[in-house]
Amino acid sequence: MTKQQALNRLVLGLSIPLFLGLWEAVSRSGSVNSVLFPPPTLVAVALYNWAIDGSLLIDIMMSISRVVVGFVTGAAAGIVLGILTGRYQILSNLLSPVFQLLRPIPPIAFVPIVILWFGLSELGKWFLVFWGVFFTVWIAAHLGVQRVDKTLIRAAQCLGTPEKRMLQEVLLPGALPYIFVGLRTSISISFYTLVAAELAGTFSGIAYRIEIAQQNLQVGQTIGGLIVLGIISAVADKVFGLLSHRVVWWG
Amino acid sequence: MSLNEPSSRTLPANSKPISFTSSHTSVKKVADGVATEGYINIQDLSIVFGKGKNSFVAVERISLEIPPGQFVCLVGPSGCGKSTVLSAIAGFVAPTYGTIQVDGRVVRKPAGERGMVFQQPSLFPWKTVLGNVAHGPLMSGKSKVESHRLAREFLQMVGLANFADSYPATLSGGMQQRVAIARALANFPRVLLMDEPFGALDAQTRIMMQENLLKLWEELRTTVVFVTHDIDEAIFLGDRVVIMSANPGCILADLPICLSQPRNPEVLIEPAFANLKKDCFELIRRESLLAFEQQSRRSSKIQRHR
Repeated sequence: MTKQQALNRLVLGLSIPLFLGLWEAVSRSGSVNSVLFPPPTLVAVALYNWAIDGSLLIDIMMSISRVVVGFVTGAAAGIVLGILTGRYQILSNLLSPVFQLLRPIPPIAFVPIVILWFGLSELGKWFLVFWGVFFTVWIAAHLGVQRVDKTLIRAAQCLGTPEKRMLQEVLLPGALPYIFVGLRTSISISFYTLVAAELAGTFSGIAYRIEIAQQNLQVGQTIGGLIVLGIISAVADKVFGLLSHRVVWWG
Repeated sequence: MSLNEPSSRTLPANSKPISFTSSHTSVKKVADGVATEGYINIQDLSIVFGKGKNSFVAVERISLEIPPGQFVCLVGPSGCGKSTVLSAIAGFVAPTYGTIQVDGRVVRKPAGERGMVFQQPSLFPWKTVLGNVAHGPLMSGKSKVESHRLAREFLQMVGLANFADSYPATLSGGMQQRVAIARALANFPRVLLMDEPFGALDAQTRIMMQENLLKLWEELRTTVVFVTHDIDEAIFLGDRVVIMSANPGCILADLPICLSQPRNPEVLIEPAFANLKKDCFELIRRESLLAFEQQSRRSSKIQRHR
């Protein structure tokens, strides 16, 4: 390893400790209000207390379950409808205008009406995440099917691929790289809508806890919640990245 | 003006024993020395793209008969409609006028009996090399075991048996194109259509590919229609060279190529090769000049009208 490489590594390893150290120093320096801007050590204590009374695990599980249900249903519906509208002009003509009309509305804007429709039930949370995920995945699958290399389709035809097997043999695998890009984008969207859903009213969940802690001026727990949310979201993205490399190894 | 008589040259009887000795259909087809399938009959083919003012005549009144087992090269400048003719034989483009028949059946849409190799290898990136070559046999209803056996045989023939489990992206351009050729042939097409298949390869690889293709053809005797803009390539590969001219695309000349068989690169330095090449160039040059004069006459007439 050259000197330069060693230095680069050292700096990489120091990045987060330096950040935390600076934060700690600023918080404790007295130049800011340490109640509103607690140092990382106090945030860690708040997180520890949150963990030992068992509610951290419940909050995490509730939030993850909402994301999973909304993401899986939204992604499944998006993929199926995207392939259908991408493949069949008549279905595209029927559905695309409606989807294109609904797609630009930020999912968060649906919170008030979701509360009217579903109250504070889980169904409302699932619906919001579903809504956020569906359109992104739909458009990715729709465009993916349409952008499959025309020569690949021709090659398949020349090899005697029957029309009814074209979807399975060429269009679906051809669209898969696009679909996975859509799915990965949707993961961050689903966390984003989750926060809106939980802030709107519920009885558990990370974002809910963040809000409650804020109302009680437990700023340590509020910041701790943000960190937990960041970690879960980053892990989900990483895991999905690995998964997509396995499924779309050629992409 | 197009010379449509079928090539005067008949196929040479297969003098040397066939090295490829398995029991599938194409080998039976060749066993008696003369191919019996893959007769292409193009009558009065015209292809017009677009409508009204914006229409463009890509191919005008082409008639061409290709006997089974012949290796025909279609040459011409870019835009002369040679690829369009090939697409029409494949069934991608419908004739505006005229008909195309293969073994007496009118071509209406793409089918496995008309294999195609494109300029780009166009392999399925998600399938292994073996999976790509086995695709055709699988689609025609053969079992997985049988398809894979066939695929391995054809990969052997293009010298890529060791790459069966690789993915296309890991192969060089030339190797990918060999897989594409094996893939098209593993389907036992009546005719093999090739659209500038070696155009994207470097000169060295191209010569190797040409020799490999000729060797395959010696064994299988599939009818081949090979589109290229490279006259050397056309004369080296073809039994027959059909020269097309642009605006509108039509046949300029139809030359039998009488060079030693089986072809090897020494042919390239034979005087006969040079003479053929000279003939081709002269034909093309004369025609281009003629077309140019006609065009300038036409445009000057238009200007006078204005």
